[in-house]
Amino acid sequence: MTGEHPALALRGLAKQFDGKVAVAGVDLAVPAGSFYGLLGPNGAGKTTTLSMAVGLLRPDHGNAWVLGHDVWGDPVEAKRLLGVMPDGVRLFDRLSGAELLAYHGLLRGMDPAVVDQRAAELLDVLALTDAGRTLVVDYSAGMKKKIGLACALLHGPRLLVLDEPFEAVDPVSAALIRDILHRYVVGGGTVVFSSHVMEVVERLCSHVAILAEGTIKRVGTLAEVRGDRSLEDVFVEVVGGRTATGEELAWLSR
Amino acid sequence: MAVPVTVAEPAARVRAVSPRHFVRLKLRVMGNNFRGQGWRVALFVVGILVGLWFAAGGFLMFAAPGFADEPRYAVMAAAFGGGVLVLGWLLLPLVFFGVDETLDPARFALLPLSRRTLVTGLFAAALVSVPVFAVLVAVTGLVVSAALLGGAVAGVVAALGVVAGVLLCVAASRAVTSAFATMLRSRRVRDLAAVLLAVVAALLGPLQLVVLAAVRTADWDRLVGVARIVGWTPFGAPWTIGLDVAEGRAWAVPVKLLITAVTIGALLLWWSRSLESAMVGAASAAPAKARQAPTGGAVAQLFPRAVGWARRDRFGALVARECRYWWRDARRRANLITIAVVGIFVPVMVNLGGAGFAVGEEGFEATGDPSPVLLSISMLFVGVLASVTLANQFGFDGSAYAANVVAGVPGRLELRARMTAFSVYVVPMLGVVSLIISGVLGRPEWFGVAAGALLASYGVGLAINGFISVLGAYSLPETSNPFAMNTGSGIAKSMLTLLSMVGSAAAAVPMVVAAGLLGDVWLWLALPVGAAYGVGAALLGAYLAGDVLDRRMPELLSTVTPRR
Repeated sequence: MTGEHPALALRGLAKQFDGKVAVAGVDLAVPAGSFYGLLGPNGAGKTTTLSMAVGLLRPDHGNAWVLGHDVWGDPVEAKRLLGVMPDGVRLFDRLSGAELLAYHGLLRGMDPAVVDQRAAELLDVLALTDAGRTLVVDYSAGMKKKIGLACALLHGPRLLVLDEPFEAVDPVSAALIRDILHRYVVGGGTVVFSSHVMEVVERLCSHVAILAEGTIKRVGTLAEVRGDRSLEDVFVEVVGGRTATGEELAWLSR
Repeated sequence: MAVPVTVAEPAARVRAVSPRHFVRLKLRVMGNNFRGQGWRVALFVVGILVGLWFAAGGFLMFAAPGFADEPRYAVMAAAFGGGVLVLGWLLLPLVFFGVDETLDPARFALLPLSRRTLVTGLFAAALVSVPVFAVLVAVTGLVVSAALLGGAVAGVVAALGVVAGVLLCVAASRAVTSAFATMLRSRRVRDLAAVLLAVVAALLGPLQLVVLAAVRTADWDRLVGVARIVGWTPFGAPWTIGLDVAEGRAWAVPVKLLITAVTIGALLLWWSRSLESAMVGAASAAPAKARQAPTGGAVAQLFPRAVGWARRDRFGALVARECRYWWRDARRRANLITIAVVGIFVPVMVNLGGAGFAVGEEGFEATGDPSPVLLSISMLFVGVLASVTLANQFGFDGSAYAANVVAGVPGRLELRARMTAFSVYVVPMLGVVSLIISGVLGRPEWFGVAAGALLASYGVGLAINGFISVLGAYSLPETSNPFAMNTGSGIAKSMLTLLSMVGSAAAAVPMVVAAGLLGDVWLWLALPVGAAYGVGAALLGAYLAGDVLDRRMPELLSTVTPRR
């Protein structure tokens, strides 16, 4: 069923905030079954692009399709296939982890028995069972990321869109998240995530797009984009900006 | 690299930071807030106008005894009026308005500033605000009063006292809020405190009525005596020195000024203490209690017992989550408490005849003439007040609302579920209000009239606030300070509230008309008709507003997402 359509297709997505261009026409085709990294410096428009792709922010121009379903024209079907973990967005954090999962599951129209079973499994795997009735608001940053991921995974989406999943996560939790995402992709799912951590992207992704100043600068498989250099070198070259100091700052050394 | 490392910058080259820098910084931050935000400028202007209005009123009150040549009233106005001012500056920021957090002390934590520099700087910056300006204008009335009663010297002394008094007000408000904010760093304590303050706030209204009644019957001479005593406390000292000169007690002036100065000094010292811990920001979160292990599956945990009847589906999940939130979110819980307190006090006041409500030798006495019409009107107010809590229901969620957008919850379902969850708390509360009112009035047969009017106005209010919450939502700040508020949102909030209350009340007027026209038949008809009217209106409102919500979900999400 996912053969002919890309898992996520963006065409000409553009957004302005108060006259300032945040995203200036982004085209992207994410093949089904790929592990897709969206790279970009701070303020490149990663979050804005992903928000428009999943139906959280209405674009000024352009459109997005999830497995061939128009996100803005046929939101019901598109959102059914989609799992999202937005960045910087609060969860309903006055619920405990289990309650939050139950809420998300039922909201997705799932059978209560299935919700119970999957929630217990997810909490167990993500080592959140010990938190018990602790409210999510009192979780640590890493725990919040993990419960957010669990909420996005619960209904078994075909496409997972994650905004900065490894931000502020300790190495142990990060390894756990990586492992889960890896299994998800091996099992036929598609992951799109944004990051500015090169190591993670290089290690995980099959495809990479580099976003800067609201447009896609480089796109392709990891090998295509990287060539024979390191991803970091390519990134710095594409994004521009200064990476070494010259004569200034002499007073730093004494 | 042959530069000798011993050549350090002489310490004298570090230029001193003066309060002037803080004031300029505050003005700059305020100015930048306005940039490109026409409505913020408009709200600011409205704020200034409101401030001027109150300032003018205060000025007249303070100056009137001077024009009337009434030294006795002048003392009372100065001592009590000034005392209320100080008390207001002390308490109101905690309860209603929040503190102006334009310059958050935590932002200065890393700068090498001495505590003294920081406190004087922040203090100076705090003086630059509309309320301070308004109070200054108002208390100028005292100067006029003193000058008219005691000549130029008294006027000059009064001016000195007034300035000291304003400084005292600002120092008091800063010290108290800062101390509280530190104490309330832990979320649990904060939630509790917010609720307690809500109770206090809700009680202020009824208390005011009692005080007014007491004042009307009180003995004036005794009050003047009390005023003179208050004049010797920090609450009244700065405001009364002008009158002391006028009354020939010049020796009191330095003593009272000393009282004021010592108080200000103590407050600033207290502030600087709590400021330090606020800056360090050592979040002393209460150690997580060993909570009992959860029982049952995830779904069973989500549903509170009160909504055990709900089906385990989307609607049920929404209702259950909202129910949990009305209890667990301190902001929401505070609203519920306000409804409960006001819902009982206001009708009792109105129906027992607010005008005849007096404190005499024989205690409280009720005069006035309760009738089904009057009862319906007061119930209308309570119902409307209860429903207006939902006017910014999505604002409570903030960016968490994204979960519902991503899941694609249909607008009608969303609104119906929110109304249901709120009603789980409010409808029993309204029932209790009806029982108490009809009981207090000694007319149990009026229970139906009260409950009917309540349900009708509540239902109509739900419908109208459904629209307001979708179209007029605004973001609430996410901050560690429970008292902070976005500048200007207070005014926007009151406008919306007013709009929705007037609309809801108008739509529920048929219940009052029926109570007036139908006589005894209405005693039986009121409850079923009112309930049907309310439920019907609420469902219709959810149906129509849900349609609007379907089209505006992403826009709504971005309006309730706090900026930053």
